[in-house]
Amino acid sequence: MLTASRQPVGSPSHREQTSMQTHCCPTLTGCAFDAQNLISISLRKIQSSRTQRGGIKLHKNLLVTYVLRNARQFYMSKNSLQTQRTPPYEDAAAVHRRQEYIELTGSFTELADDFYCNFTGTESDTWHCGAHQSSAQPSELAHQDASACAMASPSDSELMVSEACWSCTDKSSWELPILNAQANQKTVLDLDTHVVTTVTNGYFHSDCCAQPKQPQAGAQCYTRKRKMDTSYYIVDPEFYLPDFVPCKRMRSEDDDDDNDDDGDDLQSDSGQLDSANISNLISVLGSGGLSEFVSWQQMDLEQIFGTQTICLKHTLLAGSGWTRAIEAF
Amino acid sequence: MLSPIQVLCSDITTLSLEPEPFASYTEADIISTVEFNHTGELLATGDKGGRVVIFQREPESKSEPFSQGEYNVYSTFQSHEPEFDYLKSLEIEEKINKIRWLPQQNAAHFLLSTNDKTIKLWKVSERDKRPEGYNLKDEEGRIKDISTVTSLQVPVLKPMDLMVEVSPRRVFANAHTYHINSISVNSDYETYMSADDLRINLWHLDITDRSFNIVDIKPANMEDLTEVITAAEFHPLHCNLFVYSSSKGTLRLCDMREAALCDKHSKLFEEPEDPSARSFFSEIISSVSDVKFSHSGRYLLTRDYLTAKVWDLNMESKPLETYQVHDYLRSKLCSLYENDCIFDKFECAWNGSDSVIMTGAYNNFFRMFDRNTKRDVTLEASRESSKPRAVLKPRRVCAAGGKRRKDDISVDSLDFTKKILHTAWHPNENIIAIAATNNLYIFQDKLNSEMH
Repeated sequence: MLTASRQPVGSPSHREQTSMQTHCCPTLTGCAFDAQNLISISLRKIQSSRTQRGGIKLHKNLLVTYVLRNARQFYMSKNSLQTQRTPPYEDAAAVHRRQEYIELTGSFTELADDFYCNFTGTESDTWHCGAHQSSAQPSELAHQDASACAMASPSDSELMVSEACWSCTDKSSWELPILNAQANQKTVLDLDTHVVTTVTNGYFHSDCCAQPKQPQAGAQCYTRKRKMDTSYYIVDPEFYLPDFVPCKRMRSEDDDDDNDDDGDDLQSDSGQLDSANISNLISVLGSGGLSEFVSWQQMDLEQIFGTQTICLKHTLLAGSGWTRAIEAF
Repeated sequence: MLSPIQVLCSDITTLSLEPEPFASYTEADIISTVEFNHTGELLATGDKGGRVVIFQREPESKSEPFSQGEYNVYSTFQSHEPEFDYLKSLEIEEKINKIRWLPQQNAAHFLLSTNDKTIKLWKVSERDKRPEGYNLKDEEGRIKDISTVTSLQVPVLKPMDLMVEVSPRRVFANAHTYHINSISVNSDYETYMSADDLRINLWHLDITDRSFNIVDIKPANMEDLTEVITAAEFHPLHCNLFVYSSSKGTLRLCDMREAALCDKHSKLFEEPEDPSARSFFSEIISSVSDVKFSHSGRYLLTRDYLTAKVWDLNMESKPLETYQVHDYLRSKLCSLYENDCIFDKFECAWNGSDSVIMTGAYNNFFRMFDRNTKRDVTLEASRESSKPRAVLKPRRVCAAGGKRRKDDISVDSLDFTKKILHTAWHPNENIIAIAATNNLYIFQDKLNSEMH
């Protein structure tokens, strides 16, 4: 029974964003953060969380993505207001830059997927676009999840660009046959101790599996079949895996501190999806085109990347923020 | 006023006895949980190294009046070891996240301890007698030559030095995909629940190979994930009720009689957010780090990053009382985010009569709020200020540049590496246990030793 619910958190207006910024960062010694810095710090936290002992902390990373979202909203609104003041002949360029920035946001989703998604290496799941309403009002933006993709430009709905959003499909596609015939139980065999534990759910799996997310009206939708080479596989650096999945690791080492070759670093991360996430970020951050990483991928993945690559290969927003992000990253 | 009866240090530290500003200790010594048992006679602590240390209160004796009520080490054992999940290529930390005592039903004591993945039931029993006078073996246990046995004797129990034995009785494993953050024993004394980020499982204490999932907030599409479970607890009196808190600052009271899967809450406790107070970190500071039922079962105590709130179970729209723990940090959230302090999870505690609440803060400060008089006090747990039988001096934090009295400390001088995350209050008396990194402090209010 729902009673009083939280007031919808409206996307802050420009004034509120400004006040948020100053409220958050008054002139304290050593604290000269702005949204761009917060974004780079947050990305650094997410990256470092992959290697920390005990696995990725879901709670902490969820909170970090909220900060990312808030900083991004603020940055976007600041940018859009600046755009509005520019002369008309600059509109196309500014708009294009905004497009690129919007493309960037897909990588946050992919980061989230990196945490939460889970692939068995079997034949594909469908990718679908999680693009949001192009006419989303600022107040609706705030309802989006921290991992929501494609932040709509609050001022120019026509330029909403949808993205291929790599998301998990419903569970059933990678639900493994379980020992127990009942559909509402999960049985785990501990390979070390040979202990069998059964967790009984209060519902049936078929009831809880949602349909793949439907694309929002007015948004383009990319739906592709992704063919996975079973010799590659994705190991979720997060800890969730279906039971009894004998996933091989792509690399034996999880971490590679060698930053000289970002490509190697990326490939050493577990999973094609993971490397794609980072490669998206890196290419956006300007450390080289996506193509050098794409060439290491499967052919079909290249095609899929293609659409995004075109956008991502462009130079960054003329913002020093992303340059700073490179330094931090 | 609180007066310490004893200042205890964990005996596994390498801390020098002199008060040095930077004493060295290993990370394994950091205390990660503190819990009194139901009578207050025993106090258990868990640390990052997977060890559990149990303290026992000495009975008061007239011959040594100054040592009455002191807590001494009763037993130490290794509860959890680091593990490696080969399937997922993940290391499982041995850090003890929570300890919960079972109500005592016989001479032995039982406690549950958990790390990120596995819960264990431990039996703590005393042995102060041993059988002597066996026929077939001698005192050292060697088998006797049967030809030397000329007569039979009945073995008798003879007193021996007290020995505390700890043995694992149950291991509840492989039921949690995410990190376990809470365990709570039901008032039926038969079941308990364990909560991780997305699910809560119900166990029977005697059955280790099966558990029931009673809450599952994992969305079908993980892109839709917006909140995680941060803490959960059973109602102290009603075995069908439990509450769990979320990272969004909400509390959900669930009734297990309503459905097998309690995804649908019975009551939702949520305070509307003030839009004018919105910041980049609003979501982080509203995340509830701890939730505790009052002993009466009528109220809930929650802790988020800056405040502690008391909720009435009959009022879902807003908390009954809100206490600012360290509001001076509100302007420092940026730097606290950068150094990760903003993610610290402070616990909270009720006193036995539910009239005072306590929670920790930074700089080894902890705070108490009297709900009736509305008075509050800030105290410090440190070696320097906590000589045995000394009286703790109230502390004050002043804003930077503000008026400063003697002994006040400025916000900018706070040591954010010294944090009191774990506190516990004796169930019946005014005795508190404070975990300050690798040290355990126990304080008692001698003037007001009885609860009221």
